[in-house]
Amino acid sequence: MTDLTDMNKESESQARIADAMTAPSLGIEEPQPTIPADALEDPAPQPVPDLQTVSEERSLMQDAWITMRSRPLFWISAALIFVFLLMAAFPQLFVFSGRTPDWSDLDKARMGPDSVAIFGYDLQGQDIYVRTIYGARASILVGVCTALGAAVIGVVLGTLGGFIGRFLDTLLSRTADVFFAIPLLLGGILIMYTFRTTAESPYFVVVFKVVMALSVLGWPNVYRLMRSSVMQVKPSEYVMAAKALGANPLRIIGSHIIPNAIAPVIVVSTIDLGSYIATEATLSYLGIGLQAPAISWGIAISDASAIGYVRNAPHMLLFPSLFLSLTVLAFIMMGEVVRDAMDPKLR
Amino acid sequence: MRAITPALIGVASLALLASGCASDGGTNNNGGETGGATEISIRGCTPENKLIASNTNEVCGGNVLQAVTSKLVYYNPDNSAPELDIAESIESPDAQNFTVKLKQGYKFHDGTEVKAKNFVDAWNWAAYGTNTQLASSFFEPIEGYDKLQCGVDKESGEADCTKNKPEAETMSGLKVVDDYTFTIKTTTPTSNLEVRLGYTAFAPQPDSFFADTSQGKTEFGTLPVGAGPYKIVSNTATEMVLEKFADYSGAHAGSVDKVTFRIYNDMNTAYNDVVANNLDLTDQVPADQLVNDQWKNDLVNEDGTPRYGTKETGVIQVMTFSPIDDQLKSIDMRDALSMALDREQITKQIFNGARTPATGWVSPVVDGYKAGACTACVFDPTKAKELYEKAGGYKGTLTIAVNGDGGHKEWAEAVCNQWKNNLGVTCAVEATPNFQTLRKGINNRELKGLYRGGWQMDYPSIENFLTPIYSTGASSNDGDFSDKKFDQLLKDAAAETDLNKANELYQEAERILGEKMPSIPQWYQSSQYGYSSKIAEVKMTPFSTFDLSSIKLK
Repeated sequence: MTDLTDMNKESESQARIADAMTAPSLGIEEPQPTIPADALEDPAPQPVPDLQTVSEERSLMQDAWITMRSRPLFWISAALIFVFLLMAAFPQLFVFSGRTPDWSDLDKARMGPDSVAIFGYDLQGQDIYVRTIYGARASILVGVCTALGAAVIGVVLGTLGGFIGRFLDTLLSRTADVFFAIPLLLGGILIMYTFRTTAESPYFVVVFKVVMALSVLGWPNVYRLMRSSVMQVKPSEYVMAAKALGANPLRIIGSHIIPNAIAPVIVVSTIDLGSYIATEATLSYLGIGLQAPAISWGIAISDASAIGYVRNAPHMLLFPSLFLSLTVLAFIMMGEVVRDAMDPKLR
Repeated sequence: MRAITPALIGVASLALLASGCASDGGTNNNGGETGGATEISIRGCTPENKLIASNTNEVCGGNVLQAVTSKLVYYNPDNSAPELDIAESIESPDAQNFTVKLKQGYKFHDGTEVKAKNFVDAWNWAAYGTNTQLASSFFEPIEGYDKLQCGVDKESGEADCTKNKPEAETMSGLKVVDDYTFTIKTTTPTSNLEVRLGYTAFAPQPDSFFADTSQGKTEFGTLPVGAGPYKIVSNTATEMVLEKFADYSGAHAGSVDKVTFRIYNDMNTAYNDVVANNLDLTDQVPADQLVNDQWKNDLVNEDGTPRYGTKETGVIQVMTFSPIDDQLKSIDMRDALSMALDREQITKQIFNGARTPATGWVSPVVDGYKAGACTACVFDPTKAKELYEKAGGYKGTLTIAVNGDGGHKEWAEAVCNQWKNNLGVTCAVEATPNFQTLRKGINNRELKGLYRGGWQMDYPSIENFLTPIYSTGASSNDGDFSDKKFDQLLKDAAAETDLNKANELYQEAERILGEKMPSIPQWYQSSQYGYSSKIAEVKMTPFSTFDLSSIKLK
């Protein structure tokens, strides 16, 4: 591992620095900017133009975008995700019957689809279509927030561990190992049982608890990726150049390390997002994730999955499950597409 | 078998009928009448404790002990009326001093005769504090019971048997007169004592029980010896086997030679086994199988006759008003909430007929039941809304606390929805992870709103549904209900020697509950059971156990 003192020794040659400044970070080919000859002779080179790194990073994204937009899978998953996001934000847009998710008519319990309730009625005589539409919010919120939460924790700690190294790295890595050893579902059950929600808890507190539980267990995944990615980027010439030019570590991390090391994290987080949604459904199914009056697909599946109900009213189970599967599928497909575009080596 | 045409099945069943043997179990437990010995298998579950009559208060062990023990009184499985069993007579001039005479010739499974001292010694042992028997409180009415309890530790405030040993070893209210006669004296008049004596805790214990020196009588409790129609021959982790007791001299002898209780962890599995004729009896049908009468379609013989049944049991479900919730103090509010409940709809749609709408606080299976004590139990949404607005409405979220492990969430949500629809109240269900958590919240009076209360009778008497739950300071008075007139009526009724007059006083007391609404009666419970094709008749008791002596095979 190289540290700053080593770096200074290495950066004896001005020419090397100049070369390094133009080195493409992720194998992206671009015409190298020509460096004026007088720059080479100048003992105190001008500050590294930020523009270059920024433009390279943008071009990475641009390149990914070009790869992705040519793939039908991307458009299918993007369309699905768009619909589900819209459903989560404005469920009322999708409900044409005017029924609220609270609406119930016990006399209609377990009845099949009719002209108003196109998915039929559940155990309480509530409209399954309306409940399924409104259930999207919980699942999407949990999925997106958990993916973000795990990514933030993982990226911050991973960068620190990878960049500073030494004792901090060891400490963080072993801590991550401890959390990594706890299976997501088992840990989720443990945490949700310890911090139970009551009927009076506000909606966002209930969701937040699930998000916290899953984030706390999901970050080691991101941490490991980020750490190794940072360690890969750190010895790069452009980082050395920045150091040699006297940029402070925060600036180096912010402008050079993170933009060049973040790609795998984006990929993994997108794929994990799908599995977080599935885990939330599982926790709710077990009766410890979200709880009524919160509406979620997991709760709906849990309520409808006794064998006698499946035999007599399979529609109660079918529709929430279908929506759950579609959402998870959409996010995982999107993750695959992003991975293919950003990390061609894994293709 | 599936490929056989309907015509062939007709022929086959005709042939079976002609030969007088219609059993088609087709399983290894179908010993058949050819060998002479008949046997059946019943769904069992792991008993909580060793099988000791005074330490068993749950169904898993109770099912077995029901057949292994005989008591002074036998509850008729049809109407749960008490009939004398071992007792020749139980007489009392004043509802306080009782003389019990025993029938001669009753034998324990080890051959010794049932005598008066077997009762007195067993009861004294069960009531003795140091023995920590679960059912010891059943002996509370007997004089001298308090002297057998461990002293209360000053620091912890709880009974502590190591520091404060009980003062006496025998209750002063029990006296052996001769081998077949003993007397009982109760602390206060207890007119329905006879009805109580049929409970398993009052079973006599043989001399071998007292000879067992193992801690907690575990050796005896594995293979208990009773005076019942069946004796237990093996008891393992997977099954308990009972055999007919040859020397049984009572009126309720078994008809099947061998009964095996097979331990199931999951009632769904047991149900499926009964459907497939691999098990002969199950006392539970999963709630989801009741939908659209699915179970009635599953449980039919090939000739189309049903092999299922329903038995009204002595269980009532209520919702108790939390005593710490000031908004629920007004009678108008309580009546409104009760009237806004469409019990009919919930019992039909949520329970698929496994519950009956309640009209009072007492189960219809018991002696002294009279319908209609709860006038506010009639569904009337208009009047409910009026009363609700008169009471000023409920501010905030009204919660119904239930235990999440007992299948109570469904009805609680339905109740909430009805209140939302009929009264416009904001209502939510609060499900605790398990029963213990709910009980803790109730006992510490931490919960607001309403909470679930279920009551299974200990003995079939109207008194058992009133005194332990609604008398001032009673052990199960979760709503802290207190009413002087109510308490006085209960006292008067207990002292009344004429059972009919006593019941009238109890009914009058129940009407006071109708005025004060300490809780909302919801529904009476019934048990569903299923049996295999080889059983012709089976009866379930109002305690949800099977009456083995009434089983008849085809």
